[in-house]
Amino acid sequence: MRVPSYDDLTPQRGSVVGAPTTLFACLYEGGDDVAMSLGDVRVTPPAVAIAREFSPRIAVAGPRMVIVDVSGLGRLIGAPPVIAAEIDRAARQAGIDVRVAMAPTQTAARLLAIGCPPRMVVTGDVAAALAPLPVTLLCELEALPGGLSPRDRARPFDTLSRWGIATLGDLAALPPAALSSRLGRRGVALQRLARGWDPRPFVPDADPPRYRERLELEWPIDALEPLSFVLARLLDPLSAALERADRGAAAVRLDLRLVDRSTHARVLQLPAAIRDARVLRTLLLLDLESHPPRAAIDVVAIETDPAPARITQFSLLERALPSAETVTTLLARLRALTGEARVGSAGLVDTHEPGAFEMRAFGVTARGAQAADRDAASPPAVTLRRSRPPAAIRVRADGGRPVHVASPRRGQPSGAVIDAAGPWRTSGSWWQRTRWNRDEWDVALAGGAICRIFRDRDTGRWFMDGVYD
Amino acid sequence: MQAALESLLRARKLDVTLTSAAGRTDAPPARFAPRRGHLSEAIGAPSTGRTTVVLQAIAAATARGELAALVDACDALDPASAAAAGVDLARLLWVRETGDAARALKAFSLILQAGGFGLVALDLADVAPATVRRFPWTTWMRVARIVEGSDTVALLVAGERVARSPAGVTIALESPAGARWSGTGPRARVFRGLATSPRIVRAH
Repeated sequence: MRVPSYDDLTPQRGSVVGAPTTLFACLYEGGDDVAMSLGDVRVTPPAVAIAREFSPRIAVAGPRMVIVDVSGLGRLIGAPPVIAAEIDRAARQAGIDVRVAMAPTQTAARLLAIGCPPRMVVTGDVAAALAPLPVTLLCELEALPGGLSPRDRARPFDTLSRWGIATLGDLAALPPAALSSRLGRRGVALQRLARGWDPRPFVPDADPPRYRERLELEWPIDALEPLSFVLARLLDPLSAALERADRGAAAVRLDLRLVDRSTHARVLQLPAAIRDARVLRTLLLLDLESHPPRAAIDVVAIETDPAPARITQFSLLERALPSAETVTTLLARLRALTGEARVGSAGLVDTHEPGAFEMRAFGVTARGAQAADRDAASPPAVTLRRSRPPAAIRVRADGGRPVHVASPRRGQPSGAVIDAAGPWRTSGSWWQRTRWNRDEWDVALAGGAICRIFRDRDTGRWFMDGVYD
Repeated sequence: MQAALESLLRARKLDVTLTSAAGRTDAPPARFAPRRGHLSEAIGAPSTGRTTVVLQAIAAATARGELAALVDACDALDPASAAAAGVDLARLLWVRETGDAARALKAFSLILQAGGFGLVALDLADVAPATVRRFPWTTWMRVARIVEGSDTVALLVAGERVARSPAGVTIALESPAGARWSGTGPRARVFRGLATSPRIVRAH
């Protein structure tokens, strides 16, 4: 096929837009496997990133397809074949297998990308370039309303097949009036697509806004107090931008470039979208208190991941819960005070291991009051105060039954055993490091304390598991 | 006789000491209702039911849809026991300390200052009494001032009297009858529960 030179480019006849000379490139992923079902794989982000390298005006046109407006790149890169070669080279460098097609209209570029060899450039007679392509390629280009059954979708193509219309050229050559009377508006729309005409103007996808602020300091700072003022200066406009877009920060990334050329990066995942500058500053400072940078700071950069702002609807019938900002700040302060893993909610785990639990993140969830599950007249459950970890004790036994407990730790119950129940043997997880194998006793000591003690059957040692209280 | 005595004490507005649930020594005190916006305490020796009373108060708070917090100075909470007592663990903020009473007290203050919780408890039961006595009395005044006027119940758990607001409640737990056991044979004994005798002390 002859590839016309760039000088032969003329305004495309029949373009619905009637726009000045334009040139579109279509990146179609999937390589040579045209027989794959279109629509089963989404366009991967690397293809979008490659498209953005060449032009900011891109649109994801469908499954595995990106349309790029490359009009005007002639001065930067060269003739259309050179542009196509550059796009192909960039894709190969990124490890992506794409077909590249260029044409004066989006529709033509898409059809050529699907139905032609991997790199195809058409700048002259689009209809002639599309003519030999099969008419079934139009299936994926049609914009049909949702809810249409597969049979209705295929109806015009069945009709065209019975008529012997197999190629786009055959369809384009049909008289429009006769086609309209037999296939209706949908038939006319298909014919326009077959001729390479765009049904609507090119609308590029909006570039996702980035909420990022950066400041290079005049002199390095190495204390949190001056850094607090810098963070306030950066977070105020960020907060305002988020508020204008009705967004909140789902995560905050803080990059501190240090004087030793390293970067101290911290990422805070927030439980809810927050845009209050003071709260964000408090959370960042609390995090830096626990994870301070090792050198003075040269550059401060903050970026937030936006998320839709949450809508909080309070109830007139329930007690108001603290806001997400309040809880997040409180948890950050508590973690800075006691440690990361010691603040949260307890969760029971599905195991027979005594005392097993897991720590979970504490969050505010609106839930109404619940009816008491336990009968009010039933006796309360016996509560155990755990000794964590179990404290080693000395036990004197008589016939295997404990008669005296001595604890070396001050404040722990000790004394003669006046009553005892046991042994209750329990073991488990023998194939794991957390294995246990013990005999438990409930003992009442002379001092009044009632304890649970156990003897580890593997080591023979006695431990205090807890005190009933 | 007892009812007449109680009504007489209430009428005179004296320092009321009510012994609750006579005859049901294993039941929680029927009238233990710490007031919102005040500091109360539950005290007693080990195995007198302090932890059971506190967990049931937390369970009642979470059942009402409120959030609760427990600052555990010695990391003694057993989540299984709490769940059995009816606590909604997802609504309980658990701060696990490792014996540092001062840090636990600071965490307690932070939670009270944040507000929004229905009940906040500070468990000092396993902290040495001498350590707790070293806190100056102004410390507890500040805590009472923080919670004053709020909808939060502040609760201390300790082995002996620590502090409470003027309108707060002290529940003193004793266990004169010890534990309840069933079975007679050496290998047929089963521990059934504690026999506690709670005593509520109010200023008015």
